[in-house]
Amino acid sequence: MMKSEAVDSYLLIMPLLLLLAVFILYPVIANIYLSFFKWKGMGRATFTGFDNYQTMFKDQTFWTSIKNTSILLLYIPLGTILPIMISAFLREGLKGWPIFRAIIYLPNILGYVIIGMIFSIVLRKLGPLNGVLTVLGLGNLALDWLNKPDLALNSLGIVYGVWIRLGFGCIFFLAAMSSIDESLYDAAKIDGALWWRTFWNVTVPSIRFSIEFWIVLSCIEILARAFPFIYTFTRGGPGFATFTLEYGIYNAGFIAFNMGYASAWASVLFVFCGIIAFFQVELMRKNINA
Amino acid sequence: MYLILIVFAFIALYPLFFVLITSLKSAGEYINNKLLLPQKATFANYRYVWINGNMLKYFINSCILIPAALIVYLFVCISAGFAFGRMRFPFRFSIFLSVLFLMIFPQMLLSIQIFQIIRNMRLVNTYVGLILVWVAYFAPFGTYIMTTYYSSVPMEIVESARIDGASIWQMLFRIMVPIAKPMIVIIVIIGFQSMWNELPFSLLLLQTEHLRTITQGIGMMQGQYGLDDTILTAAIISAAIVPFILFIFFQRQITMGSYGGAVKG
Repeated sequence: MMKSEAVDSYLLIMPLLLLLAVFILYPVIANIYLSFFKWKGMGRATFTGFDNYQTMFKDQTFWTSIKNTSILLLYIPLGTILPIMISAFLREGLKGWPIFRAIIYLPNILGYVIIGMIFSIVLRKLGPLNGVLTVLGLGNLALDWLNKPDLALNSLGIVYGVWIRLGFGCIFFLAAMSSIDESLYDAAKIDGALWWRTFWNVTVPSIRFSIEFWIVLSCIEILARAFPFIYTFTRGGPGFATFTLEYGIYNAGFIAFNMGYASAWASVLFVFCGIIAFFQVELMRKNINA
Repeated sequence: MYLILIVFAFIALYPLFFVLITSLKSAGEYINNKLLLPQKATFANYRYVWINGNMLKYFINSCILIPAALIVYLFVCISAGFAFGRMRFPFRFSIFLSVLFLMIFPQMLLSIQIFQIIRNMRLVNTYVGLILVWVAYFAPFGTYIMTTYYSSVPMEIVESARIDGASIWQMLFRIMVPIAKPMIVIIVIIGFQSMWNELPFSLLLLQTEHLRTITQGIGMMQGQYGLDDTILTAAIISAAIVPFILFIFFQRQITMGSYGGAVKG
């Protein structure tokens, strides 16, 4: 009985494992291998040792991409606190919640490609955001969101780091808060605690695990899921203002056809992803065991 | 409190609303009237997008490709999910963690090698190739959800089937699928939306024009220089309409499935 169960189990997981081995595990390892070569994607690959890495560390765009990613990561606190606070308001109960839930969740289901495109239009200098600001008399806030390097990067941070995940964040944290023991709140009320106190002393500590999870999730989204959005939003520009490691791989590999060099970038990204993945797997492991 | 929500809803909805009304304006009207409702609504942009822009072909492509991909996706997720969630075998936990670990890697990191592999398999420009890559990329998350679900299912149902001596494939159809129907609906929807909106792998592997997906279609339209906003927005709405409708009908399942862990974009 035991033996046949093991055999059956391996049969069941074989399709998944096969696909993962071929299309994820092998590519990740092959990247590292290829980073020591020079290759145009066709023909021969020449061994070049650490040349690609030396070039990369001297490459200004590499350091720009690291800087950009770091700045994007700085939007995570905002992208975490905002949904938590809004959820804390909402948990008290709301009429017509299903409709609101539907509306705020909308960005998620349209996909990053579509959202990126929408905002590439909405944030133009002569686009609707500036139009609305002007109409409201806030004309001097109507800046060139997409074409000034600093503005572009921060626009990316606000839209991709905060806005795009607000809806999902609220639903996520509301679910987390729904399992908080009501008696904690009653006790706080008896103690005479105001909303703000209750928020920090009861609500936030109780959802600590969810907050950790959310932060790791946000890191992953920024490090490893941003490419389709950035591609349709600003194409990595203006200049290299919204350039990230992912974009660097795309640029080196599919525009310049410098595959070995792209693999060097990929190997750096691999290290960052690996670190975050450890945190994510740790959290998921705790989640399952709980 | 309602005020916050209204502001919130407005911020969430306005960009989409803007795209919608723009798509209904003629280029001429758009120049003068950017913000408000069209005075003279027209479907000319849609006609252009669907006919000249080939969007109809791309739409049909996506409608063929994605259900096919979803069948493979379901097969993989249900089988593996059930095994990880309900069965016992050596290294079960370590293998499962490895699967979760591999979920993190971004498309760009994999693309260079994936292209080589697919090319060596002679599957470039085929839907088979793209389906294999899509399932490899999206199935781990689906498997994770099915695993969490199956591990919460009562033992008796499974045990009775094993004692009957049912073969693994009989188990698949007579047990694994029926007991997980609600969850299967959820991962189908999540899988559908991930695949419908997917761009990098499609661009990489589908280079022949007549094979392209609808998201590729609008992606390439955006790249066209000098294309009117009115036309681009019509393209965007065309691509967005399907996930949108799906969402209206399956709202509850979608939001339920998403906080089962992480969400892949």
